Amino acid sequence: MKDSLVTLDQVYFAYEADKPILSNVSINIKQGKITAIMGGSGSGKTTVLRLISGQITADQGKVTIFNQEINQLSRRKILNLRQHIGMLFQFGALFTDMTVAENVGFPLMENTNLPESLINKIVAMKLEAVGLTGTQAMSTNQLSGGMARRVALARAVALDPELMLYDEPFTGLDPISLNVTAMLIKKLNGNLGQTAILVSHDIEATLKIADYIYFMANGQIIDHGTPEQVKNTSNPAVRQFINGDLGTSFSYKYPSKQSYEYYLGQQ
Amino acid sequence: MRITGLIEKLGQPFSSFIFMLGELARLLGLILSGILYSLKRPQLILKEVFFSGVLSILIIAVSGWFVGMVLGLQGYNTLQRFGSVSVLGSLVALSLLRELGPVLSAILFASRAGSGITAEIGLMKATEQLDAMDVMAVNPIQRVVAPKFLGGIIAVPLLTALFDSSGILGGHFVGVTLLKLDQGTFWSQMQGSVSLHDDVINGLIKAGIFGVIVSLISVYQGLLAKPTAEGVSSATTRTVVHSALAVLALDFILTAFMF
Repeated sequence: MKDSLVTLDQVYFAYEADKPILSNVSINIKQGKITAIMGGSGSGKTTVLRLISGQITADQGKVTIFNQEINQLSRRKILNLRQHIGMLFQFGALFTDMTVAENVGFPLMENTNLPESLINKIVAMKLEAVGLTGTQAMSTNQLSGGMARRVALARAVALDPELMLYDEPFTGLDPISLNVTAMLIKKLNGNLGQTAILVSHDIEATLKIADYIYFMANGQIIDHGTPEQVKNTSNPAVRQFINGDLGTSFSYKYPSKQSYEYYLGQQ
Repeated sequence: MRITGLIEKLGQPFSSFIFMLGELARLLGLILSGILYSLKRPQLILKEVFFSGVLSILIIAVSGWFVGMVLGLQGYNTLQRFGSVSVLGSLVALSLLRELGPVLSAILFASRAGSGITAEIGLMKATEQLDAMDVMAVNPIQRVVAPKFLGGIIAVPLLTALFDSSGILGGHFVGVTLLKLDQGTFWSQMQGSVSLHDDVINGLIKAGIFGVIVSLISVYQGLLAKPTAEGVSSATTRTVVHSALAVLALDFILTAFMF
């Protein structure tokens, strides 16, 4: 598709042969939009992000990003590509041996030849954008969970990436920090025209900011549409997920696997 | 069936060991291919030399002092029986320079700094810091692993030199200060029997090789650590055990070739 920045075409991925994490997954991420990938824990959402960032490669199917098929790229080209991608990790993944300023300035120090004075100015601007002006000298263990997530967000957008990947950005945040984070994601998307892929299982916050939503279950896309379409969907699994019902479409029981039968045999 | 099972069980540790050697060689290759990056940023290496070297100075100096004192005491008692206490200085210096200095410094380094390196890399992996770096187009092997490896290689020979010096002073304290051996005899015997090339430099070469082995094992175990508290704990234990075994085994081989 012409306006797609990222596409996954019939992607299959498995760490172990008999346990596919993703099977036949096709996703189109439109440029300049916030696309959410939702689903329960273990549905394969984070694996999609890891495929897009080139941390893992698909066993079958195509992953195309910025019109380049990532499976075909050399390590050097993937590294070059990553300079246009920002990623916010689930728990921030801040470098614990660095201060806030060093964390935010890290991608700039490593990937650009900008003078230190300019980097310091950019760091100050990014911290201001996430509402943390003046925290430059703080160490990461002085930050609350919400502050750490916002510092990680400032670091992820330090190079003004064209594509932002958010891995469970709302997990473990209080309602105020959660809304602040959601507002920041929306603001970054609006102000910079960034394309964003948001992996989350927080219904309320995601429906509020996403332009398009894919639903995943058991490594497959089970439904997709705009937030309105998703709210009114007739898909029982999606309805169960949105309403948090115990239902039958999603099972909380881990499926019996060959390895478990083997374990039973050992007892 | 039982025999094949037994053979498999006996062979598995051996094949795992060969597999580990292959992985260590591959990691060494990756580190060496990215070494230019680290050399361009000497501040990263200096930081690691500080953490693994400077912060180990106390334990190395104190251990060296006590080892030297024990050598002095044992040597004096034994040599006295043969009326050869005059060579105590040579005995202390040669034991330390050739064997005890490099071996004990490397083992102490593995316990004090190597385990720290493993824990740090293991925790960085567990908290996705290495993944974050990779996603930011920064190679974690170049940025994190190579400086730690180089820091270890620089630190171990320097710590060995400190251990040797401190040990000789410990031997001097026992032999000369406590047991009243003649000071001139102690130092002149040492000067006469210790060769700069054969003893001092060979000892430091040994220390350099141990530095490579211990640092490589430390970073390897850190990268291999399971991202759990237990995984990191096991990895640090493995660093100390594997380093000690590797150093002792390699010491025998190096001694056979060098001296």
